Amino acid sequence: MNLFLRQLGWELYRLFARRRTWLGFGTFLAVETLFYWFWTRERSKAGMANFIERVAGGFDEYFSALTLGFLIVVFTMILLGVVFVSLIAGDILAKETEDGNLRLLLVRPISRLRLLVIKFLSCQIYTSVLFLFVGTTALGFGLIERGWGGGMLVWAPEIPRVSLFEWNEGLFRYFIAIFAFSLIYLPVTGTAFMLGCFRIKPAAATIITVALFLADRILSAIPLPAFDPYREYFVTPRMASWLLLLYQEIPWPRFFESAFWLVGFGLTGFLVGWIAFERRDVKS
Amino acid sequence: MLEFSGVTKRFHGAATRALDDVSFSVEKGRICGLLGHNGAGKSTALGILLGLVHPDAGEVRIAGISVQNQRERAVAKLGAIFESPAFYDYLSGWRNLKVLTAYSGGVDEALMRETIEWVGLSARIHDPVGKYSHGMRQRLALAQALLPRPEMLVLDEPTDGLDPEGIVEFRRQLLELREVMNITVLFSSHLLSEVEQVCDEVVILRSGKKVYEGEVSASLLGQTLYRIEAKNQEILDSVVQSFRGEKHGDRYAFPVECNPSELLAAFVKEGSGITCFAPEPPSLESLYLHAGREEKGGTA
Repeated sequence: MNLFLRQLGWELYRLFARRRTWLGFGTFLAVETLFYWFWTRERSKAGMANFIERVAGGFDEYFSALTLGFLIVVFTMILLGVVFVSLIAGDILAKETEDGNLRLLLVRPISRLRLLVIKFLSCQIYTSVLFLFVGTTALGFGLIERGWGGGMLVWAPEIPRVSLFEWNEGLFRYFIAIFAFSLIYLPVTGTAFMLGCFRIKPAAATIITVALFLADRILSAIPLPAFDPYREYFVTPRMASWLLLLYQEIPWPRFFESAFWLVGFGLTGFLVGWIAFERRDVKS
Repeated sequence: MLEFSGVTKRFHGAATRALDDVSFSVEKGRICGLLGHNGAGKSTALGILLGLVHPDAGEVRIAGISVQNQRERAVAKLGAIFESPAFYDYLSGWRNLKVLTAYSGGVDEALMRETIEWVGLSARIHDPVGKYSHGMRQRLALAQALLPRPEMLVLDEPTDGLDPEGIVEFRRQLLELREVMNITVLFSSHLLSEVEQVCDEVVILRSGKKVYEGEVSASLLGQTLYRIEAKNQEILDSVVQSFRGEKHGDRYAFPVECNPSELLAAFVKEGSGITCFAPEPPSLESLYLHAGREEKGGTA
């Protein structure tokens, strides 16, 4: 176990030592800044004030750092989440195979399965770190604008009615929801990782993953009755289940059902990738 | 130490076999050259040896352990260098070694320093690999192959792209390794002169088939090469024929029992107008050419 953790540690070191990894973080920060700017414009604030007064009362109380942070996180992740997670997960094998790095690892006394587990876990840890980074910096922007304290108001199309939290409860729910969001992003990691296990260009693994999830999102949003029997098979609506943790009363059975489904989907991707990679010839 | 037994491989969609029933063995402490033209099957053979490529039939054993059945145990005895080794350019040489050796179970830092010192990279080991010259990358490749201490080295075109000084240095290091550590080496190359200078024996592959396995000495094939020039080509050819000689490019091959003095006397006596008569020491080139000719004739 110690050796496994050491190998995972060096893999993470390698991943986070890349400038490209930090460019990703920088891009998220830039987009967060953009949304921060948008949400703090007088016209945007006026719209929010109107809404908050109507549903909860007390704009000053509920337009807090947490509420602002939540809005920044949601919009940033909708815009960039799938792209960056699939970029890392698609790259980690396909790019290393293309560059020849993988050969140097595969001639070491380590099984292909173990190597894949290390790489996959690295991707998942990267995703969690990235999401928590976005959550923390978004909250930072909120604190700059609104300061410490106040309540938290959560509203999203997936939530039947607005949730209102005290500061401490809101802070806990905010971070636990973002962390859960990173875990139920596993279908994206699993799909991109699986594609990277095949003989494929790194960019292709990323593009196919993004295209698949975009198509899933668009099709699942079309309110055609013909789609109704298949609606449970769409992935992206289930990925919104992190918002269940922001319900006033958390519907745990619904949350766990979706979480298990999504984790199963991601792990199936890993499994298919592993089988393909195990059978593959790695030639120069 | 190394044993290839009936190894066969055909890649998906390929018309011919990349390797066709190849068998050979290398004893411990020997340096064996794996020779062949581009596409002869050298890289496939090394890929199968390292467990990167799955054979359709046959088996490779390292110190008696099957690569196909117990890959991790078998390759734990190996160190490998590839042509143009791909390191993580944004990490230092030291960090690259740390990442790579972590996958071998980790290596004591004292041994790492000693190895880095030996390959001559101490002064630049903490620089990013992206700033290394080709020669420095090759030294780092040698260091990673030697960590932890392997019983066998697998080298795939290791001197490609090196300057002459680098090639000489690499050759010296290889021979020193064999001397000090009794390490076994499988050396793949298409540079005949390179292989000739360091290898004890060679295996020659041609179109996926083994056409020769044995000592680096053309005389073992029963022929000696001569460079011969004469004014009268007709007489030259007839003397060559009478001594059972054959033309190979710009040289002539004669059976080893052929006495050079008698041969020269015959050229003079027949009035060929001989202007050059130079016996050449047995070379790998002659061996390679001979093996190819034998194979074309279907006798190898």
